[in-house]
Amino acid sequence: MIGSKILLVDDEIIFTENMAKLLTSRGYLVTTVNNGESAIRKLEEKDFDVVVLDLKMPGMDGITTLKEIKKLGLFTETLILTGHGSVDTALEAIKIGAYDYLAKPCEIDELVEKIEGAWQQKDTDEKKDMQEKIQRVIESPSDAFKLFKKKK
Amino acid sequence: MGKKFFNGNDDSAKQLKTYSKLFKNFTMLTIVCSLIPLLLVGWGINIHYTKFAKSRMINSIQSRVEHHAQIINLFLEEQSSKLKLIAFTHSKTFLQEPANLQHIFEMMNREHNVITDIGVIDENGRHLAYIGPYDLMDKNYLQAFWFKEAMEKGIYISDMFMGFRKEPHFIIAVTRSEQGEKWILRATVNSQVFRSLVENVKIGKTGEVFLINKDGIFQTSPRFSGNIMEKAPFPPGQYHGDVKVNIFKGSNPDSGFSNQITAETWLPNPQWKLVVKQDYSEAFADVNHANFATLIFLHLSALSILIVAIFITKYMISMIKKRDIKAESLNQQLMQAGKLASIGELSAGVAHEINNPLAIILTERQILLDLFGITKINDTEFCKQFKASMDQIDAQALRCKTITHNLLRFSRRTQSIIETIDLNQFLEEVIDLMEREAKTSGIKFIPDLDGTLPPILSDPSQLQQVFLNLINNAIHAHEGISYGTIRIISRVDEDKKGVQITFADTGSGISKDNIEKIFDPFFTTKEVGKGTGLGLSICYTIIKQLGGSITVKSKINEGTEFTLFLPFDLPAELKESMTNGSQNE
Repeated sequence: MIGSKILLVDDEIIFTENMAKLLTSRGYLVTTVNNGESAIRKLEEKDFDVVVLDLKMPGMDGITTLKEIKKLGLFTETLILTGHGSVDTALEAIKIGAYDYLAKPCEIDELVEKIEGAWQQKDTDEKKDMQEKIQRVIESPSDAFKLFKKKK
Repeated sequence: MGKKFFNGNDDSAKQLKTYSKLFKNFTMLTIVCSLIPLLLVGWGINIHYTKFAKSRMINSIQSRVEHHAQIINLFLEEQSSKLKLIAFTHSKTFLQEPANLQHIFEMMNREHNVITDIGVIDENGRHLAYIGPYDLMDKNYLQAFWFKEAMEKGIYISDMFMGFRKEPHFIIAVTRSEQGEKWILRATVNSQVFRSLVENVKIGKTGEVFLINKDGIFQTSPRFSGNIMEKAPFPPGQYHGDVKVNIFKGSNPDSGFSNQITAETWLPNPQWKLVVKQDYSEAFADVNHANFATLIFLHLSALSILIVAIFITKYMISMIKKRDIKAESLNQQLMQAGKLASIGELSAGVAHEINNPLAIILTERQILLDLFGITKINDTEFCKQFKASMDQIDAQALRCKTITHNLLRFSRRTQSIIETIDLNQFLEEVIDLMEREAKTSGIKFIPDLDGTLPPILSDPSQLQQVFLNLINNAIHAHEGISYGTIRIISRVDEDKKGVQITFADTGSGISKDNIEKIFDPFFTTKEVGKGTGLGLSICYTIIKQLGGSITVKSKINEGTEFTLFLPFDLPAELKESMTNGSQNE
């Protein structure tokens, strides 16, 4: 989806820069950070649709970062993109709540495809959540304020 | 390589030497430990028995002589007392009468013909009466030695002498004093009777019994060593009261005996020595026989111990050899596993480190391609070359990616998805898949699948990868060979409780040097760029992970045989993941 907000998290600065260029030229709004802590900070500041996350990073590693992201309770999908490709870590990441998994190196088209899938998922989840909230407001209008205040 | 080969040969020669040394030591130890006690016991028993048997033998010969001497003595005493009785109960006048003497002679010989003749002699040595077969009436005995002795002692038993009759005999003479006048009753003992009494004691084949007097003259005829009245070839010795037993071993010129046992005792009256003599070898035949039997028994026992020792040692050495071989192969397996594990760790790191630059290369390429798309370049040659180069970058990067991904797959324990698999059906599917590829190369598949194979729990996708890899290798092994076969055998392995699958090809085989390395990552005999050398390493890792084992046998130019073993009972880790998996579902 053109205009989707993407957060690229990878300790390889050249890689994030290149990826940012490629994704930007494909119509995405890309922000890059080079470690897990910065990623969490960015997510607290700003909304993102999809996070593209490396697993092996100095400091906070990918899995911890993912857990932290999940704690934030955002409507953001996380896509794992790592050179440390093994099914084990991939499955672990998916268990924690990652949308999908992609092994480095990969073709840009492949990545775009996955990002699109992730965006779709995020969009569906958001819409579903909204509908649920509306339903609840209809059922019990007194809670409406509380509900909306709680989210965000 | 040559050096290595030489070392190997040297090692095995050394090992063989060790085994033969071990064999020698074990055998010697067993033999020494069992033979020495056996010999000691045998020796002890032998000595004890010989001593015992000898003393019994000596006792028996001693009592025999004693007994025999007693009999002879009794005989002589009986004859003397008979004569004494007659002399002292009858007067000279009565006995002088030939009819009376004849009657007494007959009475004396009524039971046995003991007395040859009898005579009454006056103090002048003249015969007053004589009953007997010889014509001795006119003989005068005044000068005869016995006459003097009898006159002096009252009763006298003579030695053997020839006398007037010119044949060996001895007499008993009793002197009686009647009215101041001495007269003698003299009787000749029947030599035949006396000699048979003495001599007719048979002692084995070599035994003899004889009497000699104080001067060493034979009083009876020995069986072998001389005749009556002859001088004995040995000294008579001094008179003594008891029985003496002598053993003469070897030739004994002084004693006159050689290799003989003798027992002797002196009769009190007359002083004759009774000698019983037997060859030592005969006397101790029983002892010698027993000794011989013991010796044979000892030898047989020693021989059997020797044989048993050799057999047991051989058996033991073969067991040790087997153990050693087992330990060796286990050691090699451990080394291989260790090597693979360390290579695995290393390659995982390398793969990761390469993946990142690869990703950057690909993004750089993409950026260039993107730019190229929006930039107008008139040089068509450049455009062509640029595109070709970009494609090549992509192709080579992908090649790298394949390698790194394979490496990661080899090194990382990937999560297995365990399912129940009908191995036969599964193998058939794989064979079906590969048959098409193999058809063009003239290779035939010969499935030999055990219909009774029970379904097993395993990871089908990983197994498929292994099967495809092994079959692929088998097909490649036939390169340059116009036809061949690949046999795929499945069997239940009762011993190890699992399934055994064998892939046997008729290809070029693997050389001895290479067979040790085939499971090493990056080891390939294919041309550069054709094989990554990871196929078999991955197979090895997968099968180990599934709790099984993979072994290889190969002969150059004859073919290769890979045998997989998959257990019925999965490793604990896999079971755990399986239960987790089902919970997640």
